[in-house]
Amino acid sequence: MSESTFFLLAFVLYVLAALFYFSYLFSKRENLAKIGFVAALIGLLSHTLALILRTVESGHAPFTNMYESLSFLAWASVIAYVLIERKYRVQNAGAYLMLIVIALMALASSPLMPKEAAPLVPALQSYWLWLHVSVTLLGEAFFAVAFITSIMYLVAVSREKKGRKIKPGFTPEKLDSVSYRCIAIGFPLFTLGGLIFGMIWAYKAWGTYWSWDPKEVWSLITWFVFALYLHTRIVMGWKGRRSAFIAIFGFLAAIFTYFGVNYLLAGLHSYA
Amino acid sequence: MKSLVKFFASVRLAITLLIIIIIASILGTLIPQQRSPEEYLARYGQLGNLFTRLQLTKLYHSSWYITLLFLFALNIIVCTLNRFSPKIQKAFRPNLESEAKNILALKLKENFKKNSSLSLTKEEMKKELASHHYRFKEEKRGNKILILARKRILGIFGADAVHLGLLIILCGGIASGLAGFRTDLVFLEGETFSLPQAEFKLRLDKFETEYYPDRSVKDWKSTLTVIEDNKSLLTRSIEVNHPLSYKGLVFYQSSYGWNWENAKLEIWVKKKNDPSFLKKFELQLGERVSLGDGETQISLLNFVPDFVINEKNEIQTRSSEPNNPAVFIEGWEKNEKIFSGWIFAKFPDFDRLHSAKEMDLSFELKSFHAGQYSVIQVAHDPGANLIWLGSAFLMVGLFLAFYWPTREIRFFLEESQGQTEIYMGGISSKSREAFQSEFEKILASIRRGK
Repeated sequence: MSESTFFLLAFVLYVLAALFYFSYLFSKRENLAKIGFVAALIGLLSHTLALILRTVESGHAPFTNMYESLSFLAWASVIAYVLIERKYRVQNAGAYLMLIVIALMALASSPLMPKEAAPLVPALQSYWLWLHVSVTLLGEAFFAVAFITSIMYLVAVSREKKGRKIKPGFTPEKLDSVSYRCIAIGFPLFTLGGLIFGMIWAYKAWGTYWSWDPKEVWSLITWFVFALYLHTRIVMGWKGRRSAFIAIFGFLAAIFTYFGVNYLLAGLHSYA
Repeated sequence: MKSLVKFFASVRLAITLLIIIIIASILGTLIPQQRSPEEYLARYGQLGNLFTRLQLTKLYHSSWYITLLFLFALNIIVCTLNRFSPKIQKAFRPNLESEAKNILALKLKENFKKNSSLSLTKEEMKKELASHHYRFKEEKRGNKILILARKRILGIFGADAVHLGLLIILCGGIASGLAGFRTDLVFLEGETFSLPQAEFKLRLDKFETEYYPDRSVKDWKSTLTVIEDNKSLLTRSIEVNHPLSYKGLVFYQSSYGWNWENAKLEIWVKKKNDPSFLKKFELQLGERVSLGDGETQISLLNFVPDFVINEKNEIQTRSSEPNNPAVFIEGWEKNEKIFSGWIFAKFPDFDRLHSAKEMDLSFELKSFHAGQYSVIQVAHDPGANLIWLGSAFLMVGLFLAFYWPTREIRFFLEESQGQTEIYMGGISSKSREAFQSEFEKILASIRRGK
C-alpha cells in the first residue's frame, strides 16, 4: 500500500473516532468513548506508516511543505491527545480534538496544498530540520489539547452557572488543571524546538540566530503569551476563566505563527 | 529608592510589560520593517511619516522597544534578587517545624501513635524516607524530635534558572548587536581576500553548484583555504548549513552568481553559399576579430544569459541563469558597420541580424563559459555562545520548574508513656497526586513498622 492509502485510511479512522466520541457525548455510554479511542489509535498507526513511507520515498523529513507539515501536526495532535486522555481520563475532549485533527487532515488533502515531494532546497538540508520542526509541532499539538480543554472549561462554567448538572469526573476544575498540564508539557517543547533549535539552525544556515523575521517574532509572541499564562497562574493565582482565555489566545498565536505568517506576512521562513 | 525597588519587584509590572511587548511585537509584524521611505509613502500616505517618526518602521531596533526590553530585564533582575535570599535560606538553612498544630494545618497530614520508643521510631522513619531518596534534618528537644525530610531541593530554583537564562540571552543579544558584524565577500575561483578584521587571508579554490536531476539546485559548495603568513593552513569545503569557523570568524555559503562580463563565447561563422566554410572563434565581450578575408571584422558587444524582451521593448535578462543565452554581434567592413543583431545559443537558426545588404554569412553562438562567483558571508558574533549558554539555563530551569518539584515532609514526634505520637505533614508545589501517593506509601510503612 502506498503513502496516500495509509493517509486516507488514517483520515477515515479519525472521522470514525470523532463520530464515536460525539455519540459518547450524547449517549454517555463509556464504551463508545473507548471505541473512539481505539479508532484514533489505529488511525494513528496508519498515519505513522504514511509518514514513514513518505520519509522513505522522499528521502527527507516528512515536513518540508505545507501538505507534509499539516499532516505531521495532525499526527502530533493525535499523539498528544492519546497521551493526555490515558493520563487524565478526559475522553469527553476527544470529539472536539478530533475535529481539529480532521480539519488539519482535510486542509492537508485539499487541492490547494502541493503534495509532490520536491527535493530539498540547500537551506533545508540539515538534521536540524528534524529537530526544529518535529519538536515545535509536538509542542503546538499540546497547545491544541489545552485549547480544547480551555474552551470546554468556559462552556462547563457557563453551564454550571445556569444550574445544569456536570458529571463528577469532568468538573471545570479538572478541565482547568488538564489545560495547565498540557501547557506544562507544550511550553518546554515549544521553547526547545521552536526557539532554541530554531536559533541554532538559523545560526548554522543563515549566520545569525535571530533576524526579527515575522515567523521568529510570532514564535516569540506565542512564547510570551504562554509565559503570561504561567506567571498569572502561578504567581498571581489566576485560574479558571482568565487562564482559559490566555490559553486560547496562546494557541491561536501558535497557529498564526505556524500557518498565518506564511500566507499573510512575507519573510525568510518561506518553506512551510 | 525603596519605592523604586518595590515598583520593579512587582509581578504586576512584569505582566504589564509582557502585554505591552506582545502588542508592540505584533505591530512590528504588521508594518513591513526597514523599507524605503518611498515605499511607506506609497503604502500608508501621510501616515507613513508618522510611522517613521515613531520608529515603527524599524520597531525591533527602536529606542522605545529596546527600552521596554531593558525594563523587562530590570524587572526580572529585581524580582529574582528579591526572592533569592529567602530561597537560599529555605533551601540550605531551613527552619524545622516546632509546633504540631502547624503540621496539622497542612493539606496533606496525618496524626497517629506508635507503640515504640522515640529513637526507634525515628530510626525506622529515617530508613523509610531514605529509601524514597529523602534527605533528612532533625533536632531533638527534650522528649520531642522535629524532622524535615526533603527531596528535589533544586526544584526551588527552576524559575530562577529560567530567568537567569533569559538575562544571559539578552546579554548575548547586546553583545551581538554591539560587537558583531557581517559582510559579504564576492569571490571568483582562485581569488584571495585579505580580511580587514583578521590576520589571515582567505582563498576560494573551487566553487561548484550541484543540481538535482530536475535541474533545481541541490547545493552550493565552496572550497576555501585559510592562508596565514603566506602559508596555507587549512582547506575546507563549506556549503549551506555547513559553515567554516576559524579564529572567531564564521564563513557561510551565502549566495552565488555568474561572472558573465568575462564570459568566453564560442562563435561559429558559416557561409550560406559555401558549405565547406567554417570558422570558429573564442571571444570575449569587446573583442574584435577579422574573419580572415581581410575585410570583414566582427565584435561582440553585449551578452545576456536569460534573454527576454520586456513590455517596453527593451532587452533584459530574466535571471542570471543561462536559460536563454544570447549575444549581440556587430559586423564591420572597412570601418563601415554592415550588420548587427542578436544570436541565440538555443535557437541557432533564428538570427535577428539587421543588415544593409544581402548577407552571405551566418553566425552561431555555439557555447559559452563563464566562471561562477561565490558569495561568502563573513560573520563575527560574540553573542552566540551566550545565547547557547542562556538557552541551556532556560531549558534546565523549565525542567526543574515543571518536573522537579521539591517535596517536603515535616514530622513532629513526641514520646509519652512508652508511646510515640507522630504528626506528619507534606508539602509539594506541583504534581500533588504523585506526591500524595508517595506520602501515603511512606505513611503506611511507618505505621506498619519494620
